[in-house]
Amino acid sequence: MTITDRPVVPAPRSSHRLTTSKAMVEAIDLEMAANPEVFYLGEDVGAYGGIFSSTTGLLDKYGPERVIDTPISETAFFGVAIGAAAEGMRPIAELMFADFMGVCLDQLYNHMAKIHYESGGNVKVPMVVTMAVGGGYSDGAQHSQCLWGTFAHLPGMKVVAPSNPYDAKGLMTAAIRDDNPVVYMFHKGVMGLPWMAKNPRATADVPEEAYEVPIGQAQVAREGTDVTVATMSLSVHHCLDVAESLAEKGVSVEVVDLRSLVPLDREAILTSVGKTGRLVVVDEDYLSYGMSGEVVATVTDHDPGMLRAPVARVANPDVPIPYARSLEYAVLPRQDRIEEAIHRVVKA
Amino acid sequence: MTDVVFPSLSKERDDAEGVVSTWFVADGEPVVEDQLLAEVQVDKVAVEVPAPQAGTVHLLVAEEEEVRQGQVIARID
Repeated sequence: MTITDRPVVPAPRSSHRLTTSKAMVEAIDLEMAANPEVFYLGEDVGAYGGIFSSTTGLLDKYGPERVIDTPISETAFFGVAIGAAAEGMRPIAELMFADFMGVCLDQLYNHMAKIHYESGGNVKVPMVVTMAVGGGYSDGAQHSQCLWGTFAHLPGMKVVAPSNPYDAKGLMTAAIRDDNPVVYMFHKGVMGLPWMAKNPRATADVPEEAYEVPIGQAQVAREGTDVTVATMSLSVHHCLDVAESLAEKGVSVEVVDLRSLVPLDREAILTSVGKTGRLVVVDEDYLSYGMSGEVVATVTDHDPGMLRAPVARVANPDVPIPYARSLEYAVLPRQDRIEEAIHRVVKA
Repeated sequence: MTDVVFPSLSKERDDAEGVVSTWFVADGEPVVEDQLLAEVQVDKVAVEVPAPQAGTVHLLVAEEEEVRQGQVIARID
């Protein structure tokens, strides 16, 4: 007797299914194996393997000189990473939570992001800053934010946020090989961690070899004709849930996974809205002065006449993220609010 | 034919129960030796289960189903 909990497409060959976290680690592993200049540093990234499994197994393979557990002093170890990068190494430095950016922001936006400009292009800073983002699991106002709009607002760094294993591996490979600082934001809800809420979209077949997902290219995660939903990271999963359920009710939703905020694939947004004439933006960051406004402006700067209905923005209202699960779910852009916004825009 | 058993994660309790969090292979799929088959956990401790040999894998328990340590969770032939 054999039992599986859901039908799985039969694989003609041995598959290489990974969770998003394992795909991210595999990309780092392959680059570390190929290039001795690549190393990883941060808090609990060694023996612990990263508190959201961003470095599992790397210490055993590469040792403490290339997988470095740092003291709790982000200013110091980001300074180490920036200096190493300026000298030609390719560090990956982990900020445990995006929420902690405040304790090292000068290093990040005044140094990491500006050295290339201030040196007249003579000094490159080829480093990756990884960080866990996002809420939905009752971790409170200081451990649940996305804050990608804040990083994207500051010039000098690329900003990416994968939603699935394939993109996690490909964007990490591209980030490590990029000569610019890249902020790589992994949502805890897409990592496929066994102790978090089960997420079937967090496990997928990925190529075994190294490959790049180009930074700055959005992807249509689901094609549709009635309305464009532009989003990224965990919200892609929520939007796909809604798109699948609305398809049964005759509403055809196109989900655009932006994958990267800097550079932003404005052409992909315009192409999709040009087809549907309707736009909903779903953003797990705060509503005001952020990604949702930027995506809408991309359309209105180009041609407001593309829109056949007012746009809708589904984001965190400008309040701290609550700890209580019911309140947190009310604040986060989840399926109920996304569906309501799509209905509003489609009926307008 | 080789049994794949749920690994022992709790030293205090031989009969500790856990779950297969994720199957990384499909039922009936060909696998190679050491290929990642599953991630299992007891309480909050998770470990990976690799394939002990190459062959065709047959899954015997569903994801999230309660399983005792030592119980056979898959067979490879």
